[in-house]
Amino acid sequence: MQGLVDLGNAYLSFLNPMTLAYGLGGAFVGIVMGILPGLSATLAIALLTTLTIKLQANDAILVLICSYVGALYGGSRTAILLNIPGTAANAASCADGYALAKRGEAGRAIGIATSGAFVSTLFGVLCLAAFTPLLAEVALSFGAFEFFWLALFGVVISGSIVGDDPLKGWLMGMLGLFVAQVGQEGLYAYDRFTLGWDELSGGIALIPALVGAFGLAEVLTTLADPIERKIVELRDSVLPRFREIVQYWRTVLRSGVIGVFTGLLPGVGEDAGAWMSYAAAKAVSKEKEQFGKGSIDGLMAAETGDMSSIPGHIIPCLALGIPGSAPSAVLMAAMIIHGIQPGPMLMIQHPHFVYEVVAMTTLASITILLFGLFGVRPLLHVLRVPRAVLMPIVFLLCVVGAFATASRLFDVYAMLAVGVGAFFLRRHGYEMAPFVLGLVLGPLLDKSLRRGLVLSDGSLVPFVTRPICVAFGLVTLFTILLYVPSFKALVQRARGAAGSGLRALFARRG
Amino acid sequence: MPPLEHAPPTARSEFFGACAWLALGVAIVIGSWTMDRLEQQNINPYTAPGLLPGLLGLAMIVLGGALAHRSWRRGALREAAPPLTLDRRDERRRIWVVMALCVGYGAVLIGHGLPFWLASTIYVTASILIVRRLSRDPEQRRLSAKAAVQAIVIGVAASLITQWVFQDLFLVRLP
Repeated sequence: MQGLVDLGNAYLSFLNPMTLAYGLGGAFVGIVMGILPGLSATLAIALLTTLTIKLQANDAILVLICSYVGALYGGSRTAILLNIPGTAANAASCADGYALAKRGEAGRAIGIATSGAFVSTLFGVLCLAAFTPLLAEVALSFGAFEFFWLALFGVVISGSIVGDDPLKGWLMGMLGLFVAQVGQEGLYAYDRFTLGWDELSGGIALIPALVGAFGLAEVLTTLADPIERKIVELRDSVLPRFREIVQYWRTVLRSGVIGVFTGLLPGVGEDAGAWMSYAAAKAVSKEKEQFGKGSIDGLMAAETGDMSSIPGHIIPCLALGIPGSAPSAVLMAAMIIHGIQPGPMLMIQHPHFVYEVVAMTTLASITILLFGLFGVRPLLHVLRVPRAVLMPIVFLLCVVGAFATASRLFDVYAMLAVGVGAFFLRRHGYEMAPFVLGLVLGPLLDKSLRRGLVLSDGSLVPFVTRPICVAFGLVTLFTILLYVPSFKALVQRARGAAGSGLRALFARRG
Repeated sequence: MPPLEHAPPTARSEFFGACAWLALGVAIVIGSWTMDRLEQQNINPYTAPGLLPGLLGLAMIVLGGALAHRSWRRGALREAAPPLTLDRRDERRRIWVVMALCVGYGAVLIGHGLPFWLASTIYVTASILIVRRLSRDPEQRRLSAKAAVQAIVIGVAASLITQWVFQDLFLVRLP
């Protein structure tokens, strides 16, 4: 009952013009960054974090959540009109969206994306409101041993799912974990790997590193080969289509659930939610051949899957202090900057904050509906700006963004170094998301390991005998072993045998 | 999946990358092993600062070794380096130029006395003009007076608007 009262209060507190203006502004910036291919939600949130540093915590986080939702929504536009995903999460919408666009139904596809995004974000918000307090309750019983496995699990699964090369993903994860160890460590304030530089004592800050990896690396990649693409003409109406939502309600619900659950997994980005929803929709669809050629079902699945994973990513952020994806990692950093410590203690120290986040995310979904109704055609003009003009301006914002958090020039240099490194790594097939996870989870892993060893007096037994540890440890081990071909073949044979066994069982019954 | 804009990495480049990871892993392990164990402070030996970095270094060695082994099996040392086509040479030149521009702005122009808006104007204008000059399209390469004026206007506008929004509107400190 108290929860509902808090939720009501939270909604009421956001119903004033200034707050709505902030929300619309955040969504606007997010949509623009999402429309521009290459600029990701992570960069949008990182830059807006520095812009909103002096605002009140609630207003700042509102702007960031609206930009998060806006960026993924904006990315679907480019996926449909240019066959290039605006953000990686929109890749699943490319095939069907673009096929629809070429048939002259670009507006219909965009309308479906709008209504699907609105409905699935709201569904995700419901899950956020319901699950976060529950997960936080469970997390209160987590100790150093559990957090060690959770942090390791996050990095391992991120490395294995993102991109198509788990080995490279894990290497990036290890690199991220290592870079997080540079600087003064948390227990004895001892300088690690600072090579005598005082400035490195503070370590490499998260926001400059992210701005470098997602901003400068993108600027370098784009300017290395600035190709301008032709966009499909937008002829039909772009109004949101709610009839398709009702028609395909099963897909919407299924993708919503899949999106939220993939969101809960640390390190797994929004694109996993989109692809898994797409795959699930294709598996049960009666028109499988249409998928990839302009299937409404497929587009709906991809869009609802990736939008509902946004609240899904915020849940572990708030309840465990472990980000579900790179953009939510920046969101978490922003919360910490504004004095809110995410994690199991959040429900005790700032109990209203979770409900405020629920209200903010609801507001975010309303803003994208508004932009979907009124702002489609004007915003698309952004795509006409040549990349050669846009990228220097983006880098300008990156420098400001890197500097503004702590007003240190060293952060700008760190941003440059990480950005150049990230650029070369990306050209060789290394993904950035595991690096980000490693950077965020590094301190947690370090403290948990050392505290755990102190508590157990050097014994590794609690790490492998406590029940939750065993669960996380087994899943982590399983994920790593899946990479070994002989183990993978074993698993596939076992799955095949189990599948045929189940089928035989049901066949006999029927 | 969206079209690949850049050729996938060759087994050869992967092999050299793997060697770099191995070297980094070894350096990290050495650094962690030689790190001060803080015995004078009488700390619990299991909380030595070098513990996790050492484990990470070992993991990096294992993964780097696996990557080296995999790329060696894929024929890394057998294939020759791919020929340097004109396209690739152009691309490389563009990369170095753009990188010089960005690093020049971030490390040299910013924070050394020049007002922020002036440094940013110089960077944006120079970047637009230089990237145009390096463009494949001959139309773009012709730097008319109109193009130069356009670039300067965009540079000034971008710098001033950014400064106004961040510093005056949102009270954020600029370099």
